[in-house]
This record gives sequence, C-alpha cells and structure tokens, in this order.
Amino acid sequence: MINVLLPTLAEPQQFSMEEQLLFGTLAAVSLFGFWRRFGPILGNILQSKKDPKFHLFPIGRRVRDFVWEVMCQAKVIRERPLAGVAHALVFWAFCAFALVTLNHCATTFGLGFLDPAGRVGRFYFDFAALFAAACAMGISGLFVRRFVARPKWLGELSWESGLIALLIFALMVTYLAAFFVPGAGTAARALWWAHTVTLLLFLPLIPHTKHLHLVLSPFTVFLSREGFAQIPPLVGDEDFGLVAGTDLTRLVSLQAYSCVECGRCMEHCPANNTGKLLNPKEIVLGLRGYLNEYGPNSEEPLLGKYNAQEAAFECTTCGACEFQCPVGIEHVPIIVGLRRGAVNTGAWEDDHGFFLVLEKGSNAFGLSAAERDKFVEKNALPIFDGTQEYCLWLGCMGAYDPRGREIVVALVRVMRYLGASFGVLRKERCTGDPVRRLGNDLLFQQLAEANLEALKQNRVKKIVSICPHCVRTIQEDWKAYGTPPEVEHHSEFLARFARQLPPIQNQEKIVFHDPCYLGRYRGVYEEPRRVAALAGELVEAPRSHERSFCCGAGGGLVFLGEEKGERVSHVRAEELAATGASVVGTACPFCNTMFRDAFSAKGDGAPELMDIAQLAARGLPE
Amino acid sequence: MSVLLVLEESGGKIKRASWEALAAAQRLGPAESITAVVIGAQTAALAAEAAAKPLGKVVRLEHPLLAQYTADGFSLALEQLIGTEKPAYVVFPHTYQIRDYAPALACRMGQALIGDVVGIDDGPVFTRQLMQGRLIGSYRHAGSGPCFVSVQAGAFRPDANVAGPDLPADAGSAPITTFTPAIEPAQIRSKPGEPFRGSEQTVDLGSAQRIVSVGRGIKEAQNLPLVRELATALGAELAASRPICDNGWLPMERQVGSSGQTVAPRLYLAVGISGAIQHLVGMKGSQCIVAINKDPDAPIFEVADYGIVGDLFEVVPALTEAVKAAKQ
Amino acid sequence: MKIVVAIKQVLERDAPVRIAPSGKWIDESDVQWAMNEPDAYALEEALLLKEQAGGEVIVVSAGPERVGSTIREALAKGADRAIHILCDDLNGRDALGAASLLAAAIKPENPDLVLTGLQSEDVGLGQTGVIVAELLGLPHATMILHVEKTDSGLKVKRELEEGWFQSIELPTPAVLTVQSGGNKLRYATLMGIKRAKTKELRTVSAAELGAEGAPSVVLEQIAAPKKQKSTQILSGSAKEAAAALVEKLKTEARVL
Repeated sequence: MINVLLPTLAEPQQFSMEEQLLFGTLAAVSLFGFWRRFGPILGNILQSKKDPKFHLFPIGRRVRDFVWEVMCQAKVIRERPLAGVAHALVFWAFCAFALVTLNHCATTFGLGFLDPAGRVGRFYFDFAALFAAACAMGISGLFVRRFVARPKWLGELSWESGLIALLIFALMVTYLAAFFVPGAGTAARALWWAHTVTLLLFLPLIPHTKHLHLVLSPFTVFLSREGFAQIPPLVGDEDFGLVAGTDLTRLVSLQAYSCVECGRCMEHCPANNTGKLLNPKEIVLGLRGYLNEYGPNSEEPLLGKYNAQEAAFECTTCGACEFQCPVGIEHVPIIVGLRRGAVNTGAWEDDHGFFLVLEKGSNAFGLSAAERDKFVEKNALPIFDGTQEYCLWLGCMGAYDPRGREIVVALVRVMRYLGASFGVLRKERCTGDPVRRLGNDLLFQQLAEANLEALKQNRVKKIVSICPHCVRTIQEDWKAYGTPPEVEHHSEFLARFARQLPPIQNQEKIVFHDPCYLGRYRGVYEEPRRVAALAGELVEAPRSHERSFCCGAGGGLVFLGEEKGERVSHVRAEELAATGASVVGTACPFCNTMFRDAFSAKGDGAPELMDIAQLAARGLPE
Repeated sequence: MSVLLVLEESGGKIKRASWEALAAAQRLGPAESITAVVIGAQTAALAAEAAAKPLGKVVRLEHPLLAQYTADGFSLALEQLIGTEKPAYVVFPHTYQIRDYAPALACRMGQALIGDVVGIDDGPVFTRQLMQGRLIGSYRHAGSGPCFVSVQAGAFRPDANVAGPDLPADAGSAPITTFTPAIEPAQIRSKPGEPFRGSEQTVDLGSAQRIVSVGRGIKEAQNLPLVRELATALGAELAASRPICDNGWLPMERQVGSSGQTVAPRLYLAVGISGAIQHLVGMKGSQCIVAINKDPDAPIFEVADYGIVGDLFEVVPALTEAVKAAKQ
Repeated sequence: MKIVVAIKQVLERDAPVRIAPSGKWIDESDVQWAMNEPDAYALEEALLLKEQAGGEVIVVSAGPERVGSTIREALAKGADRAIHILCDDLNGRDALGAASLLAAAIKPENPDLVLTGLQSEDVGLGQTGVIVAELLGLPHATMILHVEKTDSGLKVKRELEEGWFQSIELPTPAVLTVQSGGNKLRYATLMGIKRAKTKELRTVSAAELGAEGAPSVVLEQIAAPKKQKSTQILSGSAKEAAAALVEKLKTEARVL
C-alpha cells in the first residue's frame, strides 16, 4: 500500500547506441581525469617508507574506531555539533547513494539491478530520496556557513569548495526531481543526463581538492597508530626523525593527503590562539605541499619552503589538534618528528643550553641534587628501600620547585593518614619528558636507560607521581628501552581512597583544569574531579575535559625561556577565573606554576590555586 | 733564603695586589732578603714607589721591548734575572698577567708554579683552593730549583707591610739597581693591541664605600628595581656577579669578581649571590660583608659577617624600609 | 686548519665531594664525570673554526679508562679523531708533569693551533695550556674569547681585568687557552654519536710517551675549608631580620 502512495523514480530504461557510446566516452574521460591526479598521490603514499612497528592486528580497535568515527561520524558531530550533523547527513547520503550510483551507470548498458517499479527498487530509491533531501539541506547549510558566516577556521574563501557544494547539491536535486516527472519522458532522460554529467564532473575533481578525503579518510582512520600522540621509534643508524622527504612514512603521507582543512586543530591550538606562527593545519598542508612538489624520495629539508622550524618549536604537545581531527591525522608525532629531525642533526640552536643542563645534571633546572636531598631530609620523607608498596616519584617539580614541593608535602600527609606504605628514591634523574618532546633521542635514551636501571636496582614495582608528564613518559616513552614499573598519577591513587578521607569543612566553588597529559593523553577526567569534589562544588570551564586549553608549559617549552607575545597561561588563567570559582584545582605541578605566575601578574582578586592533593589534605587533622 | 718578588704595574703605578704579594713574601723571608722587581721600558717611578716599602732591594728590569707586556718578553727577561739572582722563591701576585706567563717561566726552569695561594704556613706549606672552593689543598715544593708561587688577591692584607719587627732601620729607601736583559725583537712572537672597553665606563666601584651586589637569585631583569631601591636607600653603588652582567642586565663594569672588579668597600651587601669562588675573590677584602640568600649552605655565608637566610623578594624590601626608617 | 684540543675529564659539578681516607685526593667511587667546562668552550671554538675555514679537529685527553666517555662526547660533538693518553696517576703529577704528557702526544701531530680551556674545574691551576706552549716552543695567549684567522696567523680577543679586553696578533702554530662564555656550547646529537662510532680513537700509554720525572710540586693533603670568621645569622621574619641587621650595621659594624 505504502509503495503505491510514494512517488516513483523516473529512470530511463533504454539507451541508444549513441547514448551508450557517449556515456562510455565521458566516463572514460572522467575516470582518466580521476586517475591522472590520484595515481601520483597514491604513488607518493606507497613509495613512502614503511612505518616501523606497524601492526594491523589487533584489528578490533581499528574496526571500532572506523565504525564510530567514520560510519557514525561521532567526532565530527561531537566537537562541532551543528556543522557536524550537516556533514554527517551528506556523508550518510553518499553511503546510501553508492548503490544508486552503481545502478545508475549499469542501466546505461541494460545491466541495472534496481528496478524502479519493483518492490526492492522502489523501497531503496525512496530510502535514498530521504537521504538526498537531507543531504541537499545539509550541503546548503554548509555552503551558507562557509560563504556567509565565514568562520576563520576555514581560512580563505575557497572556490573549489563552492563548486563541489554546487555539484553535490545538483546531484541531489537531479535525483529528487526525477520523482516528479513521468517515467518515460524527455524530462526523465534530461535529468538522467544532468545527473550523469554532474557525477562525471565530480569524480575527477575529488583528487584535485580536499575532497580526496572521501577516498582516503576511511583508510586514515582505520590505519591510525596504536595510541594517542604515539611517537614512533627511530630505525637504524641513519634515521634521525623527519628531516627530508625520504623520512616521511606511509602513514604520514596518507595523513597529509587526508586533511579536509576544517580547521578544528587550529581552533583548539594554544599556540595558534595566542598569535604564534604555529598552525597545526598548516603543518599538515605543508607536508602535502612538499609531497606534491618534491615527492617522498627527495632530500630537500621538510623544514624549509613549506614548514618553518620556528613553528614546529612553538608546540606544547597538548594534543588538542590530534584529538579534534575527524579524519585521523596524528599531529603530535608529525611535529615531534620534525623536531627530532632538527635536534638529532644539530640543526636546532639550543639557545638556552637546556640539553646541556640535562647532559650534566640530574634535573631540568640545573640545580644541585643536594637541594633535593635537603628537601627530603627536612620533611623526613621515608627513603624507598624495596619493602614499601609505592615509590613516590618527586620529579623535577616536586623536588625543586617551591610549589611542587608543597604539593608533595600535601600528598605525603594524605598518604600517611591513609597508612600507605611508600618511600622516595635517594636519587632521581629527570624522566626525560621535555627532552622526548623536543626530539633529542640521544639524551632521552641516556635518561630512560639510566632511570630504568636505577629503578630495577631499587626494586621499584609501583610508582605514584604528582606529575602527568612523568607518568606518561615512564609508562609509554620508556617502553622503547625496557620494561617500566607500574605507574599511576596521584589523582588515580587519591580517587581510590577518596571515601576514606575526612570531610572538609569550608566548601568552595572549584573549577578543575584538566591537564593535557592527564586528560587527553591518559583519558583521566573523573578521578581528579572526584577528589576535588571533596572540597567543594565543581564548576566547569567553557573548555574542559578533552577540550581543555593547555597551560603552555608542555613540549619542553617551559624550559626554553620566556614566551613571546600573549602568553598561553594567561589566556587559560583568565578563562578559569571567569568561571567565578574561588579555587582553581590542578593536578599537574606545571599547570600549577604556570597559573601561579599568571595570577600573580593579575594581582588581587585571583582565585586560589590548589593541587587536588592539597584540596584532599584540607580535611586532615593538623 | 732569598725571595724575588715580581711587582705588577697598572697605569704607571704598582697594583695593590703586588703589595699583598709582598705581605706573602714576608712569610718566606725577612724583609732584607726580599728583592722586588719592576718590569718595563721606563721603570724609574715604579722603582721609587717600591723602594719606599720594607724590602732588601729593588731591581729595575728594563728594556725597550718590555714597554708593553708580552709573555715572551717578560719570561725571557725574568729568566735571565733569575739566573743571576738565583732566588729560592719567586713570588707573584696572581693576576691575569701572571697567569699568562709565570707557568711558562717556571717550566723553563723545570718547575711548576704553585698558583693562587691563599695561605703560607710553616714549612713552607702553601694552601690553595680546589674544587671551586669546596676543598683546601696543602702543597709543598719538592724540586731543586726556585719555588714559584703566586698569591691570590685579597688573601694577604697589605697593611702588614707597614708593621712588623723585621723592619730594617732605614725602611723606606731600599737600594735600586738596573738589570738589562738581552732580548731580540724576533723573540717576541705576539703583537698585543691597545686595551679597550666593552662599553662606556660610567662607574668606579673601586672607590665606592658601600656596594649592594646582586646575583642569580634575582631571577629576572625586571626584578632589579627592588635591589636598586635598597642601594639608593643605603647610598651605595650597584654591582653584580658575572651571570647578571653576562645576561646584559647590568653593564660589565658593574661586575665584581675574578673577571670583573676587585673591591674592598666598608660595606658589601650580597643579594641572591651564592658565593662562587670567582665572585668571592672580588669582594673578600670588604670590611663588612652581609649576605642575603635563601640557601643556608651557600658559600657566601662563609665570608659574611652577617647573614639573613630568607627569600630576597621579602627581605630586600623590608631592609629598604628599615634603612629608611633608621635614617630618620 | 689542523686544531688540537686538549680536554680534561673532571668531577661532575653537582657531585658530592668526599675526601679519600688517605687524605690526599677525593673519593672517586660512585662519582659522575663530565667534560671540564672551559675545555668544552675550547672545543666549541675549534669546531666553529673548522666549520668556517675547514680542517681537522683532534681531541687529546689524559687520564684513566673512564676518560673514554668524555672523549667520545667530544667526537660526538664534531671532533674528527682523538688520542687517549692512558695514565692512572694524573693526580700525582704536577702541572708540568701533566702538560708534558699532552705536549709529547701533540708534538708529532704538528697542529696549526692548540686550544685548551683556561683552567680545570677540579684543580683550577690554569697552567696546562701555557706550559704546553712552552714545551712545544710555540707562542701562546690566555683568556681568549674569540679567535679569528688572518693572513699572517691569528687575531684573538683576550679578556683583561675589570671589564677591559685586548686584541693580540700572533703567528700560527700557537697555543690558546679559552675562557668560558665566549660562544654558545652545542649539545651532543644523535647524529653526532652515530658518526663518532666510526671515528679514530687512538690509545697511547704515558710510558710510551716517555714523559716521566718526579714532580716539583706535591699536593700533600686536602681538607674541608675552615670557617675563617663566625657569621652572625639573623633570624626571624623578613621584617625582624631586616631591623636586626640595620641595628648591627649601625652599632656593631659601624658602617651605617
């Protein structure tokens, strides 16, 4: 019954020889045009060197990510809801149209498999029509957004985007119109040809524009690396990172060609938001430009015509770009790779002598280890002797920075109250986090190996650390050089025992700032909140959880001297203060120090700055 | 036991460090055994200045090729003099110039210089600092030639020159002789240029009675006004340790230390200075040393008369207030 | 230009200093070693000269087995080859004895320039470079911050006391001792270390060089420094301490 009421698609069923010939020729030209551009691109990708340690299996994660991010368009929608839904509709329409288009071409030669008069055919065409309508609406909305609203993330006005939008719209309209014309008339045939020509115009345009993502991005998402911000190992004696075209791997080349220029990475980049040269979108497009001009076998430096060294070294490795990318581009390994290429070959000038400090000393500040000893002694911290359960890792901040020390003292008070068995090592060396993010593989290897050996000798099994950078480096980055002990962040430890802590009298309004290396890097968002909630009512900053805005210290930048221009920490500090909270809760000693400097510059009226350990300790008896 | 004492001049006058070396020489032998040497092309005035001190005699080591200091010239000349005088000890003030040639001179005679000595005990045993001031080493001379010694600035007080039981009756006019070494122009292998300053000189720390000196503890250039205020309140000159000047936060001529100025004011206030040996050397002779540092084990406290262990960002403003209040 | 750089391996700056039971030297167990910083500046100057004018940089160092790590660091930073003078009693030699070893190893190389740091961070005599010049019969200059190659030899910038400087012209071959701070030091890179693996590191024993002889100066004993005068530490809050200080300066020291 319903079938009878719904309109039928008017599709010509018979084509003359001339028509078939015409179609064949046009199709051949179109396919040729497509391949002419796509062939070399595919070549560039396949000729790039293989990714070391790439494993297709376990395939479960890949399939899951593919279904969630590509088929369900989850990231596309979640991070930019309105535009995301519009895009999702267009995408789903394309998926639905696959069969329609196939059938469309097949009918030219009498090989159509969907009969517009049959039950299956009618159902399918009507089903597709719904999507066509949604798609037409979606693409119109996106057109208006790009050409009328003009958000700055989309960059300059792009005529090719306009043309593509028009073609998509035309495809949908020519399809939908065919429901309203008689089946066997000239109108139907005209619409059929209009649709065909639009289609055959669209096809070769795909590889020439960012719409190449139609073909590539499902692969890009499927083939992405094991984990977030994964830095690949160097292979062999001549591998120093991303120095020239020959260092680009297949995954990087694939990602470079997948960029849709949506600007979501740029929108969330702390460097880009404070007027620095760095723009993650441009980094990726720069690689694309390089590949187009020089190809993957060139010795031309990557940091040259298409990308600047200065930009690569403005990155805090916060990962917001990589997290946002809907097509699976992994910016962090690319930027760290470019840094490696510069640092491992000595092309980068270490103006602040930072590497020399760590070459010679035990900590990133260049302070005497005696200072740490004095702190440990003064606070009667137990020394780890292999019998305690936890090794409390102080890190550079916890051992030498006055604020970091306060956090350690608070945590120790809590641990003692809970009766946890713990100790601190007699000697610690920097985990190497800033060295790793800056791309100095020689120094990092030395630090990682020395540390792993020391931990083994001290029989350390479990580490608790106040610093998400230490946690990340120990757990992930040291893996390349040995087996690190178990490590957790103090928010995870405290959250486990939150219920055992005494209640806190003065409840405050607290805004928790998600550290990059705890949130995006480790996926820990709720545990620190559970702890902070002990001390008051939680409010959220406009950008929180996976969208948390970096404090500016990461990527080794805090050790490289003063930041130019507007400071990332000040921008975030303003945002946090604007929530009206009386306390800013942190879980990273770097965030803590950065905001302290920002708030002290602000003067009176700034919120109190407390690490979650300090908040948790508030209820303890004096 | 004769002692040959090499005096160094600057701007036509004998440097203060040379008189400190005389005080050291007096530990090695009585005044009459000390022969002072002045070196140059025209040394009459220098010799006269030296002759007024309690010494045995003064030798003018003169030659036209010694008009400007060169390592070759001075080594050659002194080698010949030592060959004639045959002293048991050759004593120098430990200056940049001495560091440039004395080791080579000692080498020519098969000896090694015992440099930068801070104390001379019976034996004689010479003490000097090791490991950047963290250790003291005791040295003895074991060779069969003259013992070459150079003496750290500020280690021996020159006022000891004036008093002492060894003073000969006619102290004040030692005999002066001239020794002309044989030097050929070809033997002087380097050509020294005229000294020049890095920047315009606008301050004379050497004559300041009070100095407030700032070190790395100040953290950033923009914190300097804090210390400047204290200096103004005290009527003191502002000075700094080397890292501050290297960073360009204060001009080079405000640097106190082994590579900057040596000062001996009545009051020296070290703010945020750890007291590395290179700095201590430049201000040890100050009459009253005050140190403000947050590290109670900072070496500066070794030489300070008064110390405050605390955060300079709190102590300095409090001190400025207290000084201003005291003036009323 | 063929440049030889003499470097010394010294105790890491941060290392705790413990006196050995004999009282004659420090306890070297459980100690980290590093390149003497002024020598690092000398090496940097040599590498810059090589980058500008071409040539070869050879590193020489005397000491026991462990000195090898510092030599390899120099090779990683860009030196072309190295000579390790294996010597276990470096501390027992005086400046003349140590310099004799270096001079004996350097002489057959016939370099255009010999660079070394102004002084070592452990013993701090600052004489080795000058004595090496004397033993090799070469002109020298000390406290050098900058080296420039000229047609007739070298033009160098020498540091004088109290913020003065001086230019000196001297012929090559020559010996220079380099003051810290003249250039920015380069860091060791992965590329440098990989290349260093193939660079020549020749070992020669002190006995082979024949530089023996009893020292003319003997270090008899080392000890921790005595506090020369008692320091009065004024305690209390910043305000209290400041007030107490002003009081003392007025009445006791009488400098205010």
